[in-house]
Amino acid sequence: MTAHLTRIKSRLSVHAHRKVRGLLEGEYAAIHVGRGIDFNDLREYVRGDDVKDIDWKASARSRQVLIKRYVAERKHTVLLCVSTGRSMAAMNDAAVSKRELAVFVSGVMGYLAVKHGDLVALVHGNAAHQHARPPEGSELHLERHLAAVHDAITPDAPPADLTALLRYVTRTIRRRTILVIVSDETTLPEDCADVMRRLTAQHEVLFLTIGDLDPTLPAVADRRLVDVDAAAEVPGWLRHDRQLRDQYATLVGTEEQQLRRALEKLGVVHERVRDTESAITAVFRLLERHRHARRR
Amino acid sequence: MDLTWNGGDTEFRWPWLLPVLVLMVIGLLVWWARTRGRLPAGAAYVAHAARLRTLPRYQALVRRRVALGTCLSIAALITCAGAIVLSARVQERQSTEQNDRTRDIMLCLDASGSMAEVDAQVLREFRTIVDGLQGERVGLTIWSGVAITVFPLTDDYDFVVEQLSEAESAFGTGGVYSDEYAIYTAGTVVDWSVQSQLGDGLASCVQRFDRKDEDRSRAIVLASDNEPIGDGIYDLQGAAEFAAAEDVVVHGIAAPATAERPSALQQFEDAAQGTGGTFALLGADGSAAAVVEAIGRLEAREITRPPLVQVLDRPTLGTALAGIGVGGLLAVWITEGVLAVRGRREEEAP
Repeated sequence: MTAHLTRIKSRLSVHAHRKVRGLLEGEYAAIHVGRGIDFNDLREYVRGDDVKDIDWKASARSRQVLIKRYVAERKHTVLLCVSTGRSMAAMNDAAVSKRELAVFVSGVMGYLAVKHGDLVALVHGNAAHQHARPPEGSELHLERHLAAVHDAITPDAPPADLTALLRYVTRTIRRRTILVIVSDETTLPEDCADVMRRLTAQHEVLFLTIGDLDPTLPAVADRRLVDVDAAAEVPGWLRHDRQLRDQYATLVGTEEQQLRRALEKLGVVHERVRDTESAITAVFRLLERHRHARRR
Repeated sequence: MDLTWNGGDTEFRWPWLLPVLVLMVIGLLVWWARTRGRLPAGAAYVAHAARLRTLPRYQALVRRRVALGTCLSIAALITCAGAIVLSARVQERQSTEQNDRTRDIMLCLDASGSMAEVDAQVLREFRTIVDGLQGERVGLTIWSGVAITVFPLTDDYDFVVEQLSEAESAFGTGGVYSDEYAIYTAGTVVDWSVQSQLGDGLASCVQRFDRKDEDRSRAIVLASDNEPIGDGIYDLQGAAEFAAAEDVVVHGIAAPATAERPSALQQFEDAAQGTGGTFALLGADGSAAAVVEAIGRLEAREITRPPLVQVLDRPTLGTALAGIGVGGLLAVWITEGVLAVRGRREEEAP
């Protein structure tokens, strides 16, 4: 039952990651305005403020009455939004499937939230169905979220549709959340960008994309590949042509840059998860980038 | 042996094999097409591969694959067609009216002085017949006390005609007392008390036939006056029996002078007819017509055999088709190999 989360925890506690893990928790805390302590900032005294809130030392220094502002202590909600179309059932590289990677990065984010005492909710779906799971604060619930994601991703599933999933989020989620989108989109269509714009107004949006196996790599030359979208075999002779590989790499690079630019325009921080080794670093970079983006 | 074969009809040895093999090939193709559409078990999935199809290099590669695949399929089909035609065995049935050209004719001439004129006539007539021969072998043996082979059985007609002319001139022109005759018949008489031994001559001629194991009709044209001097090894009766035992037909031509000795004539005739041959007594004038007639009768005794049928394999079509197909396959494979090697070289290039 606790298979997914156990794997994630063990990976996080691997020696090489121990330092990152602490950093990760700090970075995660920094998402919130509260930063784990209650003090937020100072402002001028207005009538009606509690006298107990006056910061006397600061007032003496600035020669005006200043009030300590506290962030209301409340639990945040991390909303994991995972696109579970059939393309997620494909391979990420020669060894790891995108499904494992999606579960892994969702799990890392969810685990950080749970450790921080926050709630984790889940929305997942494809072109045909979208499902939501309520926010819960325990590891057990996180595990169930992850299992739901894991089970929803099959090669027979309907195709992915991020726009539909995000529209579903706008329709059903009322509260303000930290929205972590895990998808494998290669481009950001115009309507999707519109929904994203709408969502950034309500949520802190973090965008994680998962890459695809390059079917032109000679590393997978001895394996038979099936295009999960078209349900047709990808011919083996594609994997021996250097020119094709170069062109494909250029295409993928261009699309990635365009996606990044489109997301930057929306003010959404974006990180690409390439493999399980670098997944934790990717999450770390995502959180850090988000902090800088907010300060700007 | 010269046989004129009538080109017969071409047909398949096993015609039923054609549809069976064609159906088999079609069945294999159907099976292949079905399994091709199925997704391989244990395959890895890859997403967003549709992007590949927009790449110009991909389209170039696909065009190349289609061209090579088309050539390969055509070559394979041609090979299959050739193999099917070969396995059904194209055969040509030929038949021929078998002319009895498997005859050996030995001219067996008595070289004693009294026979010279007759011999010359026989030779002259025989020479005209040689022109019309095809495949028969002709030999010439002259004998008196002992037999001499002038030339053995041969179908080199130029040589035969040449030899016959020479013999004819030796017998005919100079007469018995000329040097030419003496030189030509030298060695036929070893002992002057033993001459003109018809029995020995005939037996010697019978022994001149070779290729005993072949089914040939053998004939001797025996010209003599049956007037032996001294005792030979064979008497005429014995020699005729020997000839009959060897399946040799003896056509006798008796010199006109033989008629003066009826018993000798009768003996000669019995000997010839005993072997199944004909017998002719030349007229007192020794006219050529009698010889022609005698040899003409000889010609008329041709044995007719049932028409021969032979069935020949004609693998040319199948071999050519299969050859073209295999050549095509090789060409395509070599092309693919060259492309693969070039691709690998590009891969390894930094």
